[in-house]
Amino acid sequence: MTGLRVVLADDDVLLREGLASLFERSGLDVVGQAGDARNLLTLVYDRNPDLVVVDIRMPPTNTVEGLAAAGEIREQLPDIGILVLSAYADVEHATRLLASGPAMGYLLKSRVTDVAEFIETLKHIAKGGSVVDPAVVQELVSARRHDDPLGVLSAREREVLSLMAEGRSNAGIARRLWVTEGTVEKHVRSILTKLNLAETDDDHRRVLAVITFLDAR
Amino acid sequence: MIPHARPKACDTVTIVGRAHLLGALRRRSRRARELAEEQAALRRVAARVVDGASPAEVFEAVCSEAGRMIRADGAGLGRYESDGTVSTVGGWRRSGGLIPVGTRSPPGEGTLAELILQTRRPGQLRSHAAESGCFAAAARQVGWRSAVGAPIVVDGHLWGVVAVGTTSERPLPPDAEARLAEFTGLIATAIADADSRQELNRLAEEQAALRRVATLVAGGVPAAKLFEGVIGEAGRVVSADVVGLSRYEADGALTVIGGWRESTGYAPIGRRLPLEATPLSRLVFETRRPSRVDSYAGVDGPAADFVREQGLRSSVGVPVIVEGRPWGVVAAHSTSDQPLPPETEERLAEFTDLIAAAIANADSRAELAASRARIVATADATRRRIERDLHDGTQQRLVSLALELRAAQAAVPAELSEHRAELSRTVDGLTSVLDELHEIARGIHPAILAEGGLGPALQTLARRTAIPVKLDMRAEARLPERVEVAAYYVVSEALTNAAKHARAAGADVLVEVCDGTLSVSVRDDGLGGADPTCGSGLIGLKDRAEAIGGEFSLDSPPGAGTALHVELPLDDPTR
Repeated sequence: MTGLRVVLADDDVLLREGLASLFERSGLDVVGQAGDARNLLTLVYDRNPDLVVVDIRMPPTNTVEGLAAAGEIREQLPDIGILVLSAYADVEHATRLLASGPAMGYLLKSRVTDVAEFIETLKHIAKGGSVVDPAVVQELVSARRHDDPLGVLSAREREVLSLMAEGRSNAGIARRLWVTEGTVEKHVRSILTKLNLAETDDDHRRVLAVITFLDAR
Repeated sequence: MIPHARPKACDTVTIVGRAHLLGALRRRSRRARELAEEQAALRRVAARVVDGASPAEVFEAVCSEAGRMIRADGAGLGRYESDGTVSTVGGWRRSGGLIPVGTRSPPGEGTLAELILQTRRPGQLRSHAAESGCFAAAARQVGWRSAVGAPIVVDGHLWGVVAVGTTSERPLPPDAEARLAEFTGLIATAIADADSRQELNRLAEEQAALRRVATLVAGGVPAAKLFEGVIGEAGRVVSADVVGLSRYEADGALTVIGGWRESTGYAPIGRRLPLEATPLSRLVFETRRPSRVDSYAGVDGPAADFVREQGLRSSVGVPVIVEGRPWGVVAAHSTSDQPLPPETEERLAEFTDLIAAAIANADSRAELAASRARIVATADATRRRIERDLHDGTQQRLVSLALELRAAQAAVPAELSEHRAELSRTVDGLTSVLDELHEIARGIHPAILAEGGLGPALQTLARRTAIPVKLDMRAEARLPERVEVAAYYVVSEALTNAAKHARAAGADVLVEVCDGTLSVSVRDDGLGGADPTCGSGLIGLKDRAEAIGGEFSLDSPPGAGTALHVELPLDDPTR
């Protein structure tokens, strides 16, 4: 099977092995595992994978090593898709990652337990898509503002906007909301018009625009 | 009783009777005149008391009235002191001129003062030639040949003695003793009142001085200012001419660190003297008790120069004991012949106690501040560690477990669908535990704060607050962790209060750095009326701000919103 070639980095061996076996079981090809950022970079340059899955907190400082490694990989090998796993939701980290281009994802670590969706997400990123954790989107969408521009949206449109921001395609949103793709397209057009956002078919740009809009609100 | 008129045969008898009658009448009228004089004298003294005359004026009036009444040449008033001495507190001379007042000494042997002290009854003396004691010396000085005295007894307590004397060869009238005693008995309360009023005034002044000093101590003013204040107050209260505060150094020296001098400034601050050369300070150091030096005669070396330069004649020193050790000495000096009164030690000790408290305070204040800062820092570090343990330990374990369950679920043969579903439900349960864990960890310590700094952390807070928050962040750089954490909790608590309790429609947060201080203001448009003493989290914020040397203020008038402001120094105040 010509699965995606993945390099995995997490300092927790148990979790890393668990993820690796999950990936293998799901038809992905784990071509390397690392316990810190330095080894991750060595492996990535050596194996040139399709996708990198990296934990943010890793030795030696246990702060944002994974974030820095993702930045370097993006700069050196921009074609590699990157999924950054975080122990907690940080809007700033998510937006910073997203701003570095397509094929980028930011998820809470606990999302891996929903295996099917998680594997879907990995494939989506490998194909150039962008993914933002629902917790981040939720925080941005639910933030209260005076004269909130989101006030012009209907409840359904808000739902669609949240799913757009998470990086879902129209088809993905349609599946989630149990509506037709045509209905979703109608909602998306209406949202983009109401919020004065440029219309685009490019999934990444769409996510970036929405996230940037939400963050700047 | 008036005798009846007799027939002529009884002429002789009549003459005798008339003479008797005249004599009786004369005596009666003299007695009446004396009583009237006495009444007038009493009235005059009473009037002085009522007018609020000073004790010295009242004492002088008593002497002058007693002297005039007895037709003596002079009068004196002595007070028996608690230390067994008698002091001259008032005097009068028919010829005018001053009576030495204010001297004190033990009542000399054979003196009127001693006689009355022993008998507590009126008495008289013929000559003062051989007597000792200041009271007798005063009598001798004015040339009294004979004198009578009467005790002043107040509430059964022998307060003092009034004496009148004459300079002529003729002794005082035989009834002088009785009349003086009568007058004194009536005047005693007035004398004691005047005296105790002065004592009360003095006590009130002393208490006021102590209160002023205690306020300085409690206010934590800088040591130099405090010492200056205490010494000045002490000097005025004990009526010293010069007061100095010196510290015992570890190397056996004595350093003058504060001083006060009536009228002029005190020059020798900062001077060091060898302890062995300073008789008073050494005595105080060795005995750890108040001590006095009545004469500097025979003292030489550096201390003698010092004493001469300052014009000191006698001194009283009281130790400043801090934590059971002699820290220093407060010395009150007299530049006149008069030594300081015997109660000086006791009065001075009240002030040295306050100095000791201030020194101990200053030490413990610094220790307290450091310990508060340590406690807060430790608590923060612990919370941060717990947050990490939850995220990097517990969460990882739970996720690993969930993955294992997923693997097990995948391995279950398709026909055992019920088992698969059960495992899946277990993973769902684990997932909701993970969500709870996120919530708990966030409440314990904001991970974003440690990693992203105050800006991103406050932005997150603002987004998660249930009311609109306008955040004006003017401090971009990373700040010391304790400052960031304190600022974070201040904003967090204020926003929670605004949304939950104040039912505000919105809140503004302003954060800026100026002059080495981080200033944080949170203002809402809610109900107001917040009270830090009513068990809210506000008191915790005040503690947190103060623990790192900051200041907290709250303005929350009912119905007009709440404005909370903290100033947090960027420098560590405990270093």
